[in-house]
Amino acid sequence: MSLPGLNLATTPSQTQVTAAPTSAHKQELAANTEYRFEASFTHPLTIKLLSGTAEIFGSELGPLTPYTFRGTKAAVYTWNGCSLEIEGTAESEYVAEETTMMNYANAHFALEGMRDEAAKNNDSGPRVLIVGPENSGKTSLAKVLTSYALKMDRQPMVVNLDPREGMLSPPGSFSAAALSSILDVEKGWGSSPISGPSPVPVKMPIVYHYGMSSPEEGKLFKPLVTRMALAVTSRLEKDVASRHAGFIIDTSGAISHGKGGIYENIDHIIAEFSVNLVFVLGSERLNSDLTRKYANRKEEPVVVIKLDKSGGCVDRDEAYMKKLRQSQIKSYFFGDGGENVLYPTLTFADFTDLNIFQIQQASNDTSAFRPGDDDDEDVYGSRPIYEKMTPTTLLQNTLLAVTTASPNDRQDVIRDSSIKGYIFIAEVDEAKQKLRVLSPQPGRMPSNAMVMGSFPEDVPGLLE
Amino acid sequence: MSITSAEVAADFKDALQDLKTNSRPEISNLTIIAKENTEHAQAISGELEKHIRTTRPDWKLPALYVLDSIVKNVGTPYTVYLGRNLYRTFMDAYMVMDPANRRAMDGLLKTWKQPVPDSMDTRPVFAPEVTRDIENTLIKIRTHTVQAQQTLPQRPHGLPPRPTANPMANGPWRNTPTPPQGHPRFAVPNDPRLRQNVAQPNPYGSPAPHQFTTPTPQPFPMGPPLGELESVQADVAQLIASLAPSDMKRQSLLDLQTLLNNQSLPNVPPLTSQQLQAIRAQIQALTPSPAPAMPQYAPPVPNLPQPFLQTPPQNAPPSFPPAGAALNLAQILAAAQARPVVPQSSTPVNAPPAVNLADILRQVSVPAQSSTTTAAMPFFPPPSFPPVPPPVVQPTPPPAPTPTNNLAQLLASLPKPASAQAPQPPSLPLGLPTGGPATATPDWLLNALKGLPQSASGAAFPPQVPASSTPMARQASGATNTTERVEMTSASLKQPRFHLINKLYGARPNVCATCGRRFASTPEGKERKARHLDWHFDVRDSTANRSGVHRSWYIDEREWIDYKDFDESSPPDAAQSTESAAAPKEDPKEKYVRVPSDISKRVPCPICQEKFDTNVRWHQAANDFVWMDAVEIKGRIYHATCWEEFQKGASIPAPTTPDSVLGKRKAERDSPASGKKIRAF
Ligand SMILES: Nc1ncnc2c1ncn2[C@@H]1O[C@H](COP(=O)(O)OP(=O)(O)OP(=O)(O)O)[C@@H](O)[C@H]1O
Ligand SMILES: [Mg+2]
Ligand SMILES: [Zn+2]
Ligand SMILES: [Zn+2]
Repeated sequence: MSLPGLNLATTPSQTQVTAAPTSAHKQELAANTEYRFEASFTHPLTIKLLSGTAEIFGSELGPLTPYTFRGTKAAVYTWNGCSLEIEGTAESEYVAEETTMMNYANAHFALEGMRDEAAKNNDSGPRVLIVGPENSGKTSLAKVLTSYALKMDRQPMVVNLDPREGMLSPPGSFSAAALSSILDVEKGWGSSPISGPSPVPVKMPIVYHYGMSSPEEGKLFKPLVTRMALAVTSRLEKDVASRHAGFIIDTSGAISHGKGGIYENIDHIIAEFSVNLVFVLGSERLNSDLTRKYANRKEEPVVVIKLDKSGGCVDRDEAYMKKLRQSQIKSYFFGDGGENVLYPTLTFADFTDLNIFQIQQASNDTSAFRPGDDDDEDVYGSRPIYEKMTPTTLLQNTLLAVTTASPNDRQDVIRDSSIKGYIFIAEVDEAKQKLRVLSPQPGRMPSNAMVMGSFPEDVPGLLE
Repeated sequence: MSITSAEVAADFKDALQDLKTNSRPEISNLTIIAKENTEHAQAISGELEKHIRTTRPDWKLPALYVLDSIVKNVGTPYTVYLGRNLYRTFMDAYMVMDPANRRAMDGLLKTWKQPVPDSMDTRPVFAPEVTRDIENTLIKIRTHTVQAQQTLPQRPHGLPPRPTANPMANGPWRNTPTPPQGHPRFAVPNDPRLRQNVAQPNPYGSPAPHQFTTPTPQPFPMGPPLGELESVQADVAQLIASLAPSDMKRQSLLDLQTLLNNQSLPNVPPLTSQQLQAIRAQIQALTPSPAPAMPQYAPPVPNLPQPFLQTPPQNAPPSFPPAGAALNLAQILAAAQARPVVPQSSTPVNAPPAVNLADILRQVSVPAQSSTTTAAMPFFPPPSFPPVPPPVVQPTPPPAPTPTNNLAQLLASLPKPASAQAPQPPSLPLGLPTGGPATATPDWLLNALKGLPQSASGAAFPPQVPASSTPMARQASGATNTTERVEMTSASLKQPRFHLINKLYGARPNVCATCGRRFASTPEGKERKARHLDWHFDVRDSTANRSGVHRSWYIDEREWIDYKDFDESSPPDAAQSTESAAAPKEDPKEKYVRVPSDISKRVPCPICQEKFDTNVRWHQAANDFVWMDAVEIKGRIYHATCWEEFQKGASIPAPTTPDSVLGKRKAERDSPASGKKIRAF
């Protein structure tokens, strides 16, 4: 499959072309309205704030600064009214007068009250979990709340537990980062460190590899949540600014469906992170189920609040999600084009150089029939989590997570270890027992344990 | 010895290529090159003209500032060479600029008609013949635009129609009395002094400029004499430009400017000539002394909120003037206010009795979202405006204010459009009471801006000033100043609380022009912004050579738990100061070198042959990965400790193991500045 949009990013000549002025038009926005747009992967849309104030999911647009969007569905909202200059062709665009921003801003100011309180008592700020079905605006809400907290000089922690869309890392991973300064208007969250200066302050995430598309799959979700919670909690013990600001957990829509009114994974997250506030988007049933369970709990009550789902939320079909993932992977290795090109290294490695562990999906098949079974038994007991594999052509075009564990570590240690990053297997030569490997970092291939999952899927066009 | 003109021009060109913002150091640098190479003035001038002609529209203005800086600071022979083609240079750029940049260009042109301030030479910067031709053309363009606008259909509510690919196809000139004679629609009219020239094709193709509204279109034929509005606008722009960015007066003036610019909006009736004159009188009263309008060029300060207002007065501090340095307009007005006779009894919420311009504009700038009324906080912009009472009919506008009158009254007397909320059929505006004397209440402003494009109020990037007559006091509100607790309940979160939004915007009026980050206008906010700008500068500085830049490995769990994120605008924290205090004699292990982007330079220390891999850290202050304990001597990188030993003449030290290096790190160095060990490379 060819992905023309992805190929644009790396060739400077083409980005040059897109910089030429094409069809600019002016878009006036009255106060408290938003301009919703969808920009395709192939035809970028450039938005410039001419006057007034404007924000995209809470991140303010700098005056007269062109922002370019590819493969983006978003809205430019204005509290005060603004005039925009828009260049390029949107796949769809309209102005909406009814938005949920006041609702979200109120949520922010309510959180601010809790943060002030926390700062006064040197306590932990609000520990927020956002849940709701697919495309209900969870990630967008997380961005708005984070951006607003940053505007008030807070340093909130954000945790992403949705493998379908990465935060500061490719999809298939879970990550957490304390954020400061500003988010990135174009890229949403921003970028993890690169070996040179970055025009937007970089964010420093911790990343775990999940390797499957849904938290409801397999047996890795809960232990990884536990691990992540441990890391975040430890961090917040030392990091005073982030402790007071609290954290916001974004999740995958999959955990919000539940089985017979039971939301195992939500329960697990609430327990492990000591969540004390849940924002529910887009599902009245979920709201009432969670309220019933948590709101009246005697010890450690959890406040459950339903927020409005934005009318701007777009259902993103699988084809779009796949392109989005592939562009996230592309920018992990190659940057975002233009002035932000990155140079990964393409090297050869022997089969024996890499210690690859493949996630055992098979264990999943039976689990559905044994709802009451004990995780620990499977994980630490007889059934292995991974199977060590020798490279085969199956590896071609896949991503491998480079863990911080040694290949000799126990499997649960490998599972719980955060990762250094991803490498991409460009080619497998079974005859010569050699691999062509794309690595973000130059230098020798790490001998660490590497994990191969079923997700994200192959990226055949990555090197084209 | 002797460098050729071509070489100098090439150097100059290279330096120009990097000029993408109004960067003071870069513009000074270019001016210096020009100054030191006057014998190559012709080549340099040619290069500059070519650059202005060919660079992207948004990079033209900085280049024009270079031109401005050179002609004012160096003078001849550049004025001669650049003067020859100034018409073309100026007009070509003007045609592709957006309104904001055009205003800045208008400002430049204005100063070129005057002598260089404080100079012995009393002649204008450019010869009058040169500037006059440009000026005449600008007036023509405005006339055309006004006429073209009249023939354009009103924009329907919501999205305006996309401009068609070929604006000519629509025949926008059909009904104009003075159609352009065979020129592309916005092509620069021929330089009257170069009549043999055929109109040059606009380098960006004719459709491009079509997208931009012209700076001062006037939709109504009955307005004041052409040029009057423009000249008031110019005066306002000039006054604004002469103010320090932090000046509160500037804010109000920006709002006034927006208001004037809004004259181009379809259902805002024109100001009368009388009213314009009154505004002008006010502006002149506010204009300091007979000081030159646009003082001698001070290279624009980078990153001011509004790039097109970046020519500060010569004596003003270039940036971050002390907050108290200038009076604010509100105060001036308040003082000058004899007894405000603002007839607004019918709109009590919107207009507290002691009105000043800032108040009016602030209130105006937050139009209603819905019809629900929440008038709980009368001194904040109400979340939504109460139903507008029937206009108070006043047959005649108040007499033109005398200079002692204030802008508030003046604005209160401005005309009122018939209706603002419903899109108007194209024919309607012509039937409007054009003099606009229908009412004297400022609610027309409220109405006009409600549901209307808001370039207006918002215009000033730092938007509304707080309602208080001592605005500074209110602005300090930050995270800590939470007077109103918002209850965390579903019902409470549904209540509109527009006044709180000020905490996200107005309370932090100081905007970084590069990234939009906001800062309070407190001394602390200014310091933060200064550090933030330094950070931008450093980053820009070191993005030049990016070859070899790659994604880094993520830090591991342990490091992440210990990591402290660092806001580039925060003061160096306690840990860092301890560090610098504790290491006054420059601990060699604290020395660092950016990890060379050139891989071939990533070689072991020549003294101990150890690689630097284990010394890689993310260095916050450097905003980059660095090798700690490293120094670069004559292009080679050594361990700083090895080098020190070596310098002492001691024997080559035993290879340090990574652990021993790390083990010696002092505990207090676990600070952002020292970064964290990154297991990388
Ligand atoms: N107000 C809006 N205007 C335009 N687009 C919007 C708006 N709000 C959200 N979107 C877009 O709708 C899509 C879905 O929103 P979002 O990603 O926030 O939902 P989600 O609940 O996180 O989805 P998922 O469950 O897939 O993670 C996204 O592409 C988002 O950018
Ligand atoms: Mg999401
Ligand atoms: Zn900035
Ligand atoms: Zn050494």
